[in-house]
Amino acid sequence: MVLFVLIFSMTAAADSINTTVDVNEGIVLNGDIHLEVLDVGTNWGSYAKLKFYSYKDAGGKTESIYMGDVPTTYTSGTFMKIEVTLDSISYDTAFLMIESTTSLKISDRYGFEGEDETEKEKQKPITVPKLGITRTFDTNRAEQGQTIRTTLTIRNTGNGTATNIVLDEDTITGAYKDGCPSTIDDIAAGETKRISYDLRIVDAQPGTYELSPAILNYKSESGATYSSESSSSILEILPEEVRIPELEISINSVKGIITCGDKFPVTVTITNVGNATTGKVHVKSDLPADVRVVDGDLEPEYESIKPGDSEEYDVSLRAYEQGKHTIEMQVMWGDSEAAASFEFWAEKSGLEQYYPYILAAIPILLLLLWIIKRRREYSY
Amino acid sequence: MLNILILGLGQCGNRILDAINREAFGSGGTFAKYYSRQKFPASVKTIAINTAVNDLKELKNTLAKDRFHVPHLHGVGANRNIGKQVFEENKEMILEEIDKRGSFDLIFVITSTAGGSGSSFAPLLVSELKQTYNAPIICIAVLPFRAEGSIFLQNTAFCLRELVATKSSGILLVDNQYLKKYSGEDIKSAYDKINTTTARRILFLIEALNSEMLMVTDLGDLKTVMSGGIGVGTMGFYEASKGSTIKSTILGSFKPSGLLFPANVYKDGARAMLIIKGDKKYLDLDLVTKTVEELSKEVGQVFKGVLVKKGRPKVLSLFTLNAVPELEKLYTVAAEAIRFEMEKREKSKKQLENAFAHIEDLEPIY
Repeated sequence: MVLFVLIFSMTAAADSINTTVDVNEGIVLNGDIHLEVLDVGTNWGSYAKLKFYSYKDAGGKTESIYMGDVPTTYTSGTFMKIEVTLDSISYDTAFLMIESTTSLKISDRYGFEGEDETEKEKQKPITVPKLGITRTFDTNRAEQGQTIRTTLTIRNTGNGTATNIVLDEDTITGAYKDGCPSTIDDIAAGETKRISYDLRIVDAQPGTYELSPAILNYKSESGATYSSESSSSILEILPEEVRIPELEISINSVKGIITCGDKFPVTVTITNVGNATTGKVHVKSDLPADVRVVDGDLEPEYESIKPGDSEEYDVSLRAYEQGKHTIEMQVMWGDSEAAASFEFWAEKSGLEQYYPYILAAIPILLLLLWIIKRRREYSY
Repeated sequence: MLNILILGLGQCGNRILDAINREAFGSGGTFAKYYSRQKFPASVKTIAINTAVNDLKELKNTLAKDRFHVPHLHGVGANRNIGKQVFEENKEMILEEIDKRGSFDLIFVITSTAGGSGSSFAPLLVSELKQTYNAPIICIAVLPFRAEGSIFLQNTAFCLRELVATKSSGILLVDNQYLKKYSGEDIKSAYDKINTTTARRILFLIEALNSEMLMVTDLGDLKTVMSGGIGVGTMGFYEASKGSTIKSTILGSFKPSGLLFPANVYKDGARAMLIIKGDKKYLDLDLVTKTVEELSKEVGQVFKGVLVKKGRPKVLSLFTLNAVPELEKLYTVAAEAIRFEMEKREKSKKQLENAFAHIEDLEPIY
């Protein structure tokens, strides 16, 4: 039940009245002009949809007046002229100020049935959606095999809901979108929607690409078709970095010349100069026949070596024969291997060089000692 | 095995001892001592004893530990009185040194009768050894050249008398004067040859006494031989030449040319020992026995020993004499020399007294 509130303020000439009229309520001014409130609302400002007609003007007119606008004028068939201004609205009530050159009198109020939906729909104000789209990437440089997170930000800056939104976005050859919808749910006026998806760079050739704008095709509620697009984007595809472990092995000793029979240290260093961690690492050695390991393990195994890391170990060796010696070292990981060699010269010790002479001298010395002994025995 | 001690007293005794040590090295020559060992035919200990350290130093083949210096300056200067005094003063030390060698079955004392140390030590040492050891002691007494001087002659005379007086097991004489005519060389070579000859005969004897022989003679026989006659004898030697019979070889060892002292064995011999060494094929034992029997009729008791060794037969004869005419001659010469020396000394003394008489009543004026 509609509550009627009627405020009368009557003047003799250049009269004006302020009155509230509910939606689906009409008033009769001076028994001539009918003023009916069809609707109130706040689209683009507070408004009230009014219908004017009179006895000799049965068609009258329907017009929406906005708060703050200039007064809306209606002249009846009997030439009675009124000016109506919308002062304010409430939930379903319009507060109108009516002025006229003649004295005004609300001779009747009445209610009436609301217009049917079709008619009402016909009388709805025209709404226009306006979508704006922005495309961003988490990175503009990506390697082959990498994934780029792409975000589309869609904002409806119009006054109508965008419907039947279809996304039309090209991509570069060799890149594939993962989780990107081709259609987008309706976006109401003022609403912002973000859509994210992965752009997988699978086999795109390295280079700099300009991605064409993402295009949104959409309709308004009234079925009007619209389109909007983002700006184009620059994307750089880098060659895929191959990640493999690469080991280097070296062997060296602080001693340049080795003395036969003496223990000497060698240091073996294995360095991963690659960019990936190795699997199990095996070290193999090939020693000359006369070289023996005295201390340490010359062929250790490592579970893995990280990029940039080194494994170093010391081993004590001993060479027994004089001459040039070569130690071959081999490091193996996966299906790869690397080798290094260490050459050194072994010399007989100072004493050892004279072994033949010493051996030859021993009997002579013994004989000499014997002679000396005998001479001493016979010397008086 | 026999334990034998050989003592070389004085220069002469030392040199014969050194020759024995050299011969014990075999035929190795001068340097044998540097690579070889002495091979004595028995357990032989040698000691060279002298008051003259230089004489000891000259020895080449005797171990230093077997050279014993009796401290008295550099010898006793052929003065037997001083020599005896030195011996008495040092005899404990000498006997102690000998005692270190152990016990002995036979002792040889080799000495010259003419020198100082040897001739003075020998009689006294033999006496001391007789008291200490129960072994036969045989003296090898070397007589000097007769022209060496009156002191050597008088030393020989008194030394021999004292040696006989010691009643040792026997004295074997070696006469330099006699042997010189056979050596036919200079004095030094003659001395060397005499020393070597004497050394070889002593070693021959030792080998025979210590070996198992085909026909046996032993230390007991030696004692018996040495106790025959006046206890003084000598040694003879002969080596068979090609075609020699064993008889001629045995008889050759009795020839004057093979003796170390001039003697008429057939006339003056008391007892004899024959040691025959050689290859068995040369040794006709029947002939040996027959020859010895024939010799026994002339010489007296003859002991024989046959030693089988490679080589031509060699015979060493050792005998004692009933009479030593050569010694009589020597003593006659010695007595003349002593008297001559006494007269010369008296004359010199008188001459000196006469000279002093010129100033008997005078005093020096300054």
